[in-house]
Amino acid sequence: MADESTRRKWDRAAKTFDLMAGRGAELRWKPFKEQLFAAMEGKILFLALGTGLDIQAFPPGRDITAIDISPNMLAQAQPRIAAYPGSIDARVMDVHHLEFADNSFDQIYTSCTFCSVPDPIAGLKSLRRVLKPGGQLAMFEHTGSRYYPFRPMMHFMTLLSERFGPAMNRDTVANVMAAGFQVKEVNNLFLDVVKTIKAVKP
Amino acid sequence: MDHRLYFVIGDLLANILVGLFVGWITWLLVSPGWNMWLAMVVMMVLGMVLAGLLFLPLGVFLGAMEVMIPTMLGGMLSGMVIGMWCAMAPLSGPAATALGGACGLLAIVAVWIANHSLRGSRSVLEGQSHGG
Repeated sequence: MADESTRRKWDRAAKTFDLMAGRGAELRWKPFKEQLFAAMEGKILFLALGTGLDIQAFPPGRDITAIDISPNMLAQAQPRIAAYPGSIDARVMDVHHLEFADNSFDQIYTSCTFCSVPDPIAGLKSLRRVLKPGGQLAMFEHTGSRYYPFRPMMHFMTLLSERFGPAMNRDTVANVMAAGFQVKEVNNLFLDVVKTIKAVKP
Repeated sequence: MDHRLYFVIGDLLANILVGLFVGWITWLLVSPGWNMWLAMVVMMVLGMVLAGLLFLPLGVFLGAMEVMIPTMLGGMLSGMVIGMWCAMAPLSGPAATALGGACGLLAIVAVWIANHSLRGSRSVLEGQSHGG
């Protein structure tokens, strides 16, 4: 059963989501996302598509299955899905309850997702289940920091931000390892907060 | 730091602006009658909260984390320094505002320096001890 409170939170955020996340953030990070997504090949799962802001960084001609917990977010994403020069099969789905068979995908991509998944280790274990052995998990994420004063600041912000959006203090690298992936690379893009993580399913 | 001119200038101006504003608000609120330690702590927290609010419109143009973190640091620093100063001795409004701007500038430079040392690939073993 899907997490209804999370679905409602992101349904509410859908109409104004691009205002905060769309312009400056995408301008800032599009080159890094393009670099990460350039390796897309085979059967691909993308999580969570949101309003489709990341589609502009996808390489053309790929066959991508994308999920999001929020129907309103996917409704906003429709024009971007239609404009993509490839195939995107977008479905409403909760990462904790993926409706795919075991070992279904060659690669899984996430973009600013595991700041918002209520049970990140369970969500990552769910991704591991549907990823083929040897398949790659590639993530563009923001996390907490291990350094003062950033670490307490991120904890403080999370008290507020989690009510209407993401947590700012997740330890996503540790969560990926706790879910049973082998982390191959962590590349910090801004402090130790915004980063790409590459991992494989053993 | 992001070397694109739009972001260099944008980050710089955003942080100076937040520092100026927090400096001015602190000057309005804190007078020499305040306990210095109380002024420092209260204005540090208030500075961070104000910066967190000001980040919202700035973030639309400059991104999220890359604006939120340095502006909150600048807000904290500005509130703390000017709060202490105003509690200990009289300070003029323009001087407090300018000092706030300097705190904002100091914060973004500190974040650029920290970013320079933290950016790039990290080994998996270091990743295992990560807070993030």
